Amino acid sequence: MATQTISRSSIWRGGNSPFNVSYGKLMMWVFLLSDAFTFSSLLVGYGAIRYSYPATELAQIESLELSFAENVQEKFAAPGVDAHHGEHFIPAMQDLEIFSELHWPSPDLVFNHFPFAHGLHLPLIFVSLMTLILILSSVTMVLAVEAGQRGDKKAVSTWMLLTIIGGFMFLGCQAWEWTNFITAGATPSSNPYGPPAFAALFFGVTGFHGFHVFSGVVLNVIIYINNLKGTYEKRGHYEMVEKVGLYWHFVDLVWVFVFTFFYLI
Amino acid sequence: MASHSEHNVDIHDENNYDPTVWVPKTTSHGTKDLWKKFWVLLALTIADVVAYFTWPPSIARNMFFIFMGVAKAWYIVGTFMHMKYEHRKLGYMIILPMVLIMFFLYWMMYEGNFWGTYK
Repeated sequence: MATQTISRSSIWRGGNSPFNVSYGKLMMWVFLLSDAFTFSSLLVGYGAIRYSYPATELAQIESLELSFAENVQEKFAAPGVDAHHGEHFIPAMQDLEIFSELHWPSPDLVFNHFPFAHGLHLPLIFVSLMTLILILSSVTMVLAVEAGQRGDKKAVSTWMLLTIIGGFMFLGCQAWEWTNFITAGATPSSNPYGPPAFAALFFGVTGFHGFHVFSGVVLNVIIYINNLKGTYEKRGHYEMVEKVGLYWHFVDLVWVFVFTFFYLI
Repeated sequence: MASHSEHNVDIHDENNYDPTVWVPKTTSHGTKDLWKKFWVLLALTIADVVAYFTWPPSIARNMFFIFMGVAKAWYIVGTFMHMKYEHRKLGYMIILPMVLIMFFLYWMMYEGNFWGTYK
């Protein structure tokens, strides 16, 4: 091959990589930036629509005197009605006009369920668990990338497998969350909690994120199988693990903001 | 040194740049920092949960949650996505547009408030 001297002052004239990254990794970053724009537009839309409705009066929520892990189904069951059957909390909130189309519902009263704890008031706990699962699977992913940098094929396998399991756990949690929301009567056009846009945005944003998680799990499975087959060992580097890792961390990053805007605020 | 079997060129050679195979040499930065950042992220999330239960809803609380989200993003992008080891220009290319987007998000929330007033 011809030897040519690359002048460092003209790195943009071609023949080298100005950012000192491979073509594939640079394109992954550009893709993630464009994907970040997509999610930003969803969150911008959410923020604008949400704040076009007044929030539920704080004094009204405080007048319910809810305590943590209290059985709200029993508390709001009408006298003489079996508290263990049927939904009592949502109709009671509608009667009190705490859930009404005139104001945005408080996440505290909507996302207060936890598996195997039917009727108990446990706001934020389940989504915090989902956040923990996603952060943990991000750590196992970055450990797979680190193992790849050392060329440790076996360690890449182990960490990738744990990442895939974390991804499925998160998807399972999201399916449970959606089931709860749908069985309560929420659809993209109406819901028992508040303005129709509330459930529409919930389905839109968490659905779009969930689909990204699903795609990430599929990519992780492909990388895992390729690694078992020795594709990267033969290639001489494990950059594919790093590129898919970037995507996986991005999914975690989006969840950080979905968690902030949908559940915390 | 590893070489690409199909192209028969040195995939790490800077003076023989072939965009289809060229890849810079990577070195591991160890796992200590990664675990440290995991504990940091966990602590930030726990701080969020504690604030949620002890701090009554207010604009200041919302600002706190957004700040915590940006702090978590900082550690995820910097350490987990290796941004702190990348060329600085790549970092600017990715992070600057997102900083502007944060302003857009704030402005539209502010604007939404007025839609409600005039509805």
